[in-house]
Amino acid sequence: MSELIQQLFDGLGRGSEYALIALGIAVIFGVMHLVNFAHGELITVSAYVTYFMFNNDLNWWLIIPAVVLTASATSVAIEFVAFRWVRGATDFTQMLTSFGVHFAVQAIFIMYVSASFKSYDRPGWIANTVTVGGIRLEVIDLVTIGVTVAALLGTAALLRRTMFGISLRAAAADFDAARLMGVRSDRVIRGAFLLAGVLAGIAAVFVLMRTGRASPTAGLTPLLKGVLAALIGGLGSLSGAVIGGLALGIVEVLLIARLPAAWVGLTNGFVFMLIALLFVFRPGGLITVGKAERV
Amino acid sequence: MNPETTVQPERTMSPALSKSPASMEWVRRLGGPLLTSIVLFAALVLGGLLYASGGGGARDSLVTQMLINAIIVVGMQIYIGNTGVLSFGHVGFGAIAGYTFAIFAISVERKSVTVSDAPFGLSEIQWSPLAAIVAAVVVTLAIGLVVGLGLSRTAAQSGAIAATVITLAVLFMAREVAVNWDELTGGDRAGLSFGIGDTLESRWPIYVALFASLLLARLYGTSRSGRLAAATREDNLAARAVGHNPATHQTLALVLSIVVVAVGASLRVYELGSITPKFFFFEFTLLTLTMLIVGGRNSLTGAVLGVVVITVGNEVTRYLAGPSVDSFEFVFRPGLSKLFLGLSMLLFMIVRPGGLLPDWELDSWLFSRWRRRHETKPVEAATDEDTSLGSEVLKAESITVRFGGFQALDDATLDPQPDEVTGIIGPNGAGKTTLLNVLTGVVPSTSGRFSLGSNDLSSKQTHAIAREGVVRTFQNLRLFGSLTVRENVAVAALHRSDSGDSGSQPSVEELLVAAGIWDDRDRRASELDYGTARRLELARAAATRPAFLLLDEPTSGMNEAESLAMTAQVRDLARLVGAGVVVIDHDLGFITGVCDRIYCLAQGTVVAVGTADEIQADPIVREVYLGSVADDGPGEPRDS
Amino acid sequence: MSLLETENLTVKYGAIAAARDVSIEVRTGEVVGLIGPNGAGKTTTLGAISGLLKPAQGTVRFNGQVTTGWAPDKLLRHGLALVPEHRRLFTDLTVLENLKIGGVTAKASEREERIQNAFELFGVLKTKARTPAGYLSGGEAQQLAIARALMSDARLVLMDEPSLGLAPALVDVVFDLIESLAAAGRTLLVVEQNATRMLRAADRAYVMRSGEIAASGTGAELLNRPDLFEEFVGRS
Repeated sequence: MSELIQQLFDGLGRGSEYALIALGIAVIFGVMHLVNFAHGELITVSAYVTYFMFNNDLNWWLIIPAVVLTASATSVAIEFVAFRWVRGATDFTQMLTSFGVHFAVQAIFIMYVSASFKSYDRPGWIANTVTVGGIRLEVIDLVTIGVTVAALLGTAALLRRTMFGISLRAAAADFDAARLMGVRSDRVIRGAFLLAGVLAGIAAVFVLMRTGRASPTAGLTPLLKGVLAALIGGLGSLSGAVIGGLALGIVEVLLIARLPAAWVGLTNGFVFMLIALLFVFRPGGLITVGKAERV
Repeated sequence: MNPETTVQPERTMSPALSKSPASMEWVRRLGGPLLTSIVLFAALVLGGLLYASGGGGARDSLVTQMLINAIIVVGMQIYIGNTGVLSFGHVGFGAIAGYTFAIFAISVERKSVTVSDAPFGLSEIQWSPLAAIVAAVVVTLAIGLVVGLGLSRTAAQSGAIAATVITLAVLFMAREVAVNWDELTGGDRAGLSFGIGDTLESRWPIYVALFASLLLARLYGTSRSGRLAAATREDNLAARAVGHNPATHQTLALVLSIVVVAVGASLRVYELGSITPKFFFFEFTLLTLTMLIVGGRNSLTGAVLGVVVITVGNEVTRYLAGPSVDSFEFVFRPGLSKLFLGLSMLLFMIVRPGGLLPDWELDSWLFSRWRRRHETKPVEAATDEDTSLGSEVLKAESITVRFGGFQALDDATLDPQPDEVTGIIGPNGAGKTTLLNVLTGVVPSTSGRFSLGSNDLSSKQTHAIAREGVVRTFQNLRLFGSLTVRENVAVAALHRSDSGDSGSQPSVEELLVAAGIWDDRDRRASELDYGTARRLELARAAATRPAFLLLDEPTSGMNEAESLAMTAQVRDLARLVGAGVVVIDHDLGFITGVCDRIYCLAQGTVVAVGTADEIQADPIVREVYLGSVADDGPGEPRDS
Repeated sequence: MSLLETENLTVKYGAIAAARDVSIEVRTGEVVGLIGPNGAGKTTTLGAISGLLKPAQGTVRFNGQVTTGWAPDKLLRHGLALVPEHRRLFTDLTVLENLKIGGVTAKASEREERIQNAFELFGVLKTKARTPAGYLSGGEAQQLAIARALMSDARLVLMDEPSLGLAPALVDVVFDLIESLAAAGRTLLVVEQNATRMLRAADRAYVMRSGEIAASGTGAELLNRPDLFEEFVGRS
């Protein structure tokens, strides 16, 4: 029993990271109807910032704001360079645009930084644990869960209560109509990318603390997990993204704990299969966004 | 339906194209794709040979790789081009095929070194390359069909984006298995390799596979299923509403594309002599997708053009980044070709998302030129006033629909007669469009049932209901935008051949004439003005030869003169195809002019039914619908 | 004084000119109608004035400035609002949120005040303030669309087919509303299919046909020209 609780908790810690990434993907999807494959590049960029700062003997407390800042700036820059030109284009066009950005950024890192891994030391405290009633809680998991909850609440409040949030949702629903109302849609969309960048930056801090290395493809796995989490939760739903992330994390941990040792390497393969099955039975994902089809 | 009622004597004499000899039809169906594939094949192969004749083993192997890539890209075009669903998974399927091929084809001695513990006794067997390719196709298809089931359901219900993410998962899943299942795949680094001398030496297998792929792709593109897949690509709901099941065509397209990709991937492994997980992962996805996108995914010619353009471009960047060029070292360095591909994709998406050749095929170009020269306008089929419309009653009993707390329909009962035009009026929010949505399976009813004749339709899906003969139009026009006017109607007419009796049907051309859109027949639907688009939607619905036509505000956005013309067109088309009509509209002049019987809905319920005069005199109708207009005099009543 | 003036405005979709040489004028305090058959270029003209479409030729002058090619949000900030065709409400947002978006350019305090004004003018919206706009009936939705446009306190309000798709009783409500806005001194430019009703409500009107202005005059003058109706509006 306590073993299961332990695994559920580990899963929540892992899943919170996915949830943060999924949340950023869901925000962009909501506004632009775009699955942003370039979202992972924000983590790649952050990884190199971490590496360089670390090599210059800066500590993690400085690295964290630097990472969040870099990710946000990169997110806005990518919008400016690429996505603004395909606004309102078909899903197909938008997705491939983000795919192109993904590779262009990766190529730039390969060409001008390094094609191989760069390692740095992880902060000491992340391996610390607290034991509560026989359950071993990793500090980093606790922090990740706490930050994710705060990020979700903050994002929800921002979207519901502020004029920026309402404008964002309006622009998401009908771009031209929002412009007719005087919403500065350019700014709103830039704002959405900024928000997604901040969320990606926060997620990046946790991803990077856990992996301890930078590479041109550092963002690939987190991206995939985030996209899948957003999809499981029903694309475009913010709470769905978080639930999808947590579900993904828990399923992974449970599989790792229960698969025979020889198969543990295939965990991801099994997870993908489960997701494919989920979509055979529930094509809309776990949470179907309630929207009547207007015909 | 009685054939005499719709076939007019003069129609048999009209020299419409559909009456052209059957042999012509065969030339077009088979000869066109054959011609296109021969030309494309010749261009690729001759171009390649010419380049290779410049000498050097490197050139030779580049051409070989280009031809193999062409097979894989053509395979991707079959699915991505026809269905419009972006797939990252085809390279994942390629990985599955490549590994299957390798494990079957590699010699027992080689396997005893790398994968001596392969499961299922696979380390003990060795098949001929051809048999191994067949095995690769079979295994990939088996996996592909499972994925395809989820994919088509997802694409149909959650849209193409969700389907794309699933294909991405396929790509990653294939890689994860390849990296981690060491006993079978040789793991991440070593992979599987042939001994020297076992690899592909002659190009003939590639030629055969390439030509077969081109022909298959073009045959599919021009086939019934391919055209339906394209219609679904343009508008999913509209395709279902004229009777097509998108899942069927998407699955068929997926199967064919997997076969071609599996063959191409096997040849690629055979030619390279080895396989590791990174052979079929993101970089190869980038390469093949860029080829497809840059050339133009919707056309086979475009896909082939893309293969050539990107192969050349890629080679140039490789040369520049290589050791032979020393200058501009800050740009020309390793990674450049990835940058080239990424930027090409990015730029094309921004500047020319349809690719270099968005929509051009040799055979259809030649055919449309030929047709323009030989075609004559069919004589308009005269329908006389006594011609009956349909023959089966559409019955809706106690239909109730609730959305959350909102009651859209409350126990609505109607029985539109087949030989009449039935109107539905009512104030906004009365539930008129919801009723149409229920009757066409777009919105499920909370309770109640509906049927056509003795055929219960209550639990059927949209496309099944359309096939049973209840077909609708949409308030906010849903045409197949990139198809021409004629193709819109022709695609809708396709599923009629299911029913078998084709003798009494008006041809596509006659429908175009009857709807008054003959002159616009070769224009794209997305370029039409509003009135023409409305008439096209009507013609498209009629082309399915329905038992009942349900029209949702056919005159919305039209002026009085156009509405008046629409009155005649609705009746003419209904008689031409023999269908009863149910029509919703706000334009009282139109409704009273066209309808034999009118239902008035209010708050989800039928409050009155009768002829135009009865309805206009009905005090309840005046109260719920005409409101104050009835009291202070209608002023300029539109129905006078 | 002339609040809005277009000069030889031409708008093209590809090769086809949907509006040609359109020159119209709206003076402060006027209600001006723009009528004509479907496809005559009315909505296109409105699109070019409101910044949704870029004209190929010609100029738009609003409130003394040349505003040709300005973005819609910039125009709105200068006092030009549009009630778009088919209303274009934000269906997932509540009625209140829709109104707030309408007043996005105003200060928070002014926005609140205007929302209260809107609730007074459109009582039904107050009772449904927290309802998603997608759940409103057609008439309520049209009222919300107009209320939303008024939130910006614009000098000139453009309306595109406000009666489209409404039952006759609601058409009355809409025209009553137009008349009461006119009485309150608002300046309106209204595109309508319902020519007779529009001409009665308008001070002046322009009739469009095949992309061009075919006639203009006061509402009463045009009402007395049956030839126009026959030829341009198709009424027999």
